[in-house]
Amino acid sequence: MTRMRRRKTLLFCIAGVCTLALSVSVTAEDRAKQIGGKFMCMCNCNQVLTQCNHVGCTTSTAMLKELDQAVARGDSEDVITQAFVQEFGTKVYAEPPKSGLSLVAWVLPSVYLVGGTLLVVFLISRWRSRIHLETAAASVGPSGISAEELERARRRVARETED
Amino acid sequence: MATCGLIFIATFSLVYLFFSDSYWVSYVVAHSNRDLSTFYKFAALWSGQEGSLLFWSFLLAIYVFSALFVYRNKNGELMPYVGVVLAGVQIFFLTLNNFVASPFKVLATPGVNGALEIFTRADGNGLTPLLQYPEMVIHPPNLYSGYTGFTIPFAFALGALLARYPGEKWIHLTRKWTMIAWCFQTAGVLLGAHWAYAVLGWGGYWGWDPVENASLLPWLTGTAFLHSVMMQEKRGMMKVWNVWLVFLTFMLCILGTTLTRSGIVSSVHAFAQSSIGDWFVGFLALILVVCLVAYVKNRDYLKSENQLDSIVSRESSFLFNNLILLVSCVAVLSGTLFPVFSEWLSGSRISVGAPFFNKVNIPLGLILLFLTGVGPLLAWRKTSVDSLKRNFGWPSLFSLAAGAVVFALGLHEFYSLLCLILCVFVATTILMEFYRGARVVRARSGASFAASAVDLTLRNTRRYGGYIVHMGMVLIFVGLAGAAFNKDVQKDMQIGSTLQIGRYNLLLQSFDSKPERNYTSERMVVEVMQNNKPLMMLYPERRFFQTNQESGTMVAIYSTLRDDLYVVYAGQSPETQTPVIHAYLNPLVKWIWLGGAIVVMGTIVTLLPNRRSVLAFAVLQEPSAARPMSPSLAPSVTLREGHD
Repeated sequence: MTRMRRRKTLLFCIAGVCTLALSVSVTAEDRAKQIGGKFMCMCNCNQVLTQCNHVGCTTSTAMLKELDQAVARGDSEDVITQAFVQEFGTKVYAEPPKSGLSLVAWVLPSVYLVGGTLLVVFLISRWRSRIHLETAAASVGPSGISAEELERARRRVARETED
Repeated sequence: MATCGLIFIATFSLVYLFFSDSYWVSYVVAHSNRDLSTFYKFAALWSGQEGSLLFWSFLLAIYVFSALFVYRNKNGELMPYVGVVLAGVQIFFLTLNNFVASPFKVLATPGVNGALEIFTRADGNGLTPLLQYPEMVIHPPNLYSGYTGFTIPFAFALGALLARYPGEKWIHLTRKWTMIAWCFQTAGVLLGAHWAYAVLGWGGYWGWDPVENASLLPWLTGTAFLHSVMMQEKRGMMKVWNVWLVFLTFMLCILGTTLTRSGIVSSVHAFAQSSIGDWFVGFLALILVVCLVAYVKNRDYLKSENQLDSIVSRESSFLFNNLILLVSCVAVLSGTLFPVFSEWLSGSRISVGAPFFNKVNIPLGLILLFLTGVGPLLAWRKTSVDSLKRNFGWPSLFSLAAGAVVFALGLHEFYSLLCLILCVFVATTILMEFYRGARVVRARSGASFAASAVDLTLRNTRRYGGYIVHMGMVLIFVGLAGAAFNKDVQKDMQIGSTLQIGRYNLLLQSFDSKPERNYTSERMVVEVMQNNKPLMMLYPERRFFQTNQESGTMVAIYSTLRDDLYVVYAGQSPETQTPVIHAYLNPLVKWIWLGGAIVVMGTIVTLLPNRRSVLAFAVLQEPSAARPMSPSLAPSVTLREGHD
């Protein structure tokens, strides 16, 4: 291996280590921010922990410190969540957990959407089937249309299609 | 008229008590002090439970008087019923004003002979710092005007049902009232968002707080109603649905104020917990019973005259629009009340915060945005494939191209990308509609393109005003899409030190503390630099109000169409005693306020009467001024500018 090549390899190694170190530190900060976004601040401000900047809010400062320490220790998200729930109760969740009774909160909007869509589709299909029946009934009746009926139909079309 | 006059006198009496520093009135003591500026002494009227209820009665009285005055000699069969419903609502609020939450209670102590003796305090407690902000003067009146305004369509709908009043007349009669209430509600919600943004200092404008949600709920159903009434007007359909949408909107207004005033849900906006919530719950139950009984007894009068012809039609787009708005409304409502239900059912309260509401509502909002572009261009009854191609070909192409460009520029966040694509799609459909219409007008009148567009709008204010409202909504969505790219940095700052955020460099020049008339201010002087060149000065501060021992932030914002530089003085570091700066870079926020202004402007346009079309005569009278019409346009030009 030439001297030049050895130097290049060393430089690559240093750059790699630096990038890794940088990425680890960024990840820890990002991780704390991401996990903190799942908790509420317990100072009754009704804000997410990472967003509470109540002037002089000691609660969020203490909670964030605790979170940073847990992230620095390498605790998993589940462990951190359990510790916070144990300390502050279920009020600490910024979003309901996807289990037990809380699952209902997540399921309800989908139920509303699916139920509503089915209802709308049902209504449309029922209305359309009625129209087909009416059209069929009309087609076997007398074919002559009086001038008065025609004028009424014209007025109706004009009303229904104008903006 | 007498009721309205008496409520006016009561309201102005309370305002007078504030201005005359009458510290023998409990409400004045609680919400004012001698150093409070004139501006806020007026706003103190609605800053507490009792005053805000009186203000509610005041606004309701204006609406009731106006509606009864406008229709005094018209619709003889309907108006007595409407009058009774309006009087019922007014009586409920007057009962609260007089017997439950009177703002005129005086300070008194038992005297030596056992009789109560009135005493006067030297000064009041002052107004909550969070409320000492200019928007406090305009946000609540707007919101309350929205809440109270929905009483009019509610009264007409219930009155029409009780009177078995035929047809769509009640909808025609109340359309403008509904638009006015909706406009106030929209402005109120957006001003509230701006207030939260500029005052609370957390860098956001919508935190899904229960009280914020309460203001959004009637807005969602009110918006659904404004769309679905068109189906009743044009096709005689959805009569039951429309009546219940109005009922629901009004009930949500009452529910909103119940949540704010009862203490059922915890919120930074809520008034002090009191037993007044029971009154509102009772009133809500009464309204529901009355509406149900009226509906059950008279439902035969609400049969549809027509059916839906095709799934690809304006009618079905309105159905889906209503579905999404209602799903969103119910999802927000159930999320808001879930903590209460979870506590009842399991004994422990589970919070539902912003992350939940964002996850649920962002997809719904995007579907709604898509329908905003598609719905207005579908024809009534049935839309042909040719029409679909003609109306949506270019918008689809433009939006996909725009999506490809922003993706290439680095926008990879899914929802934001989709939102921007849909925004371009909707904006293109709207602009094309204006272009087509203005081109026809221009061909006949020879006026400039801009003048033709204005003329077009004024000749069909409802349709083109609606497009302007939709364009405003597009801008709001553009602003919302920016939230995915918010950045923030917090740093302890020595004088002379700098902080970098995005393309801005913030230099702390000085930090001082000085007493003002009503508070003591701690202020940072921050120089903003861009590319090492001074750009401007910002003065974030914290105010400490001695009278009520509370603090408030005054955020400094440098706003551009690209982003907002949002700087908060976050207090002094407990370890180093140096000032702490919290800076945010929030992209595209200004578009939200701009969009809101356009929505309000569009709503005002829809309220204008149509200008009568005299183009054909103008062409005949001034042939020299007019451009010769192209043969291809001539046969298709009509004065109605209908489409499909």
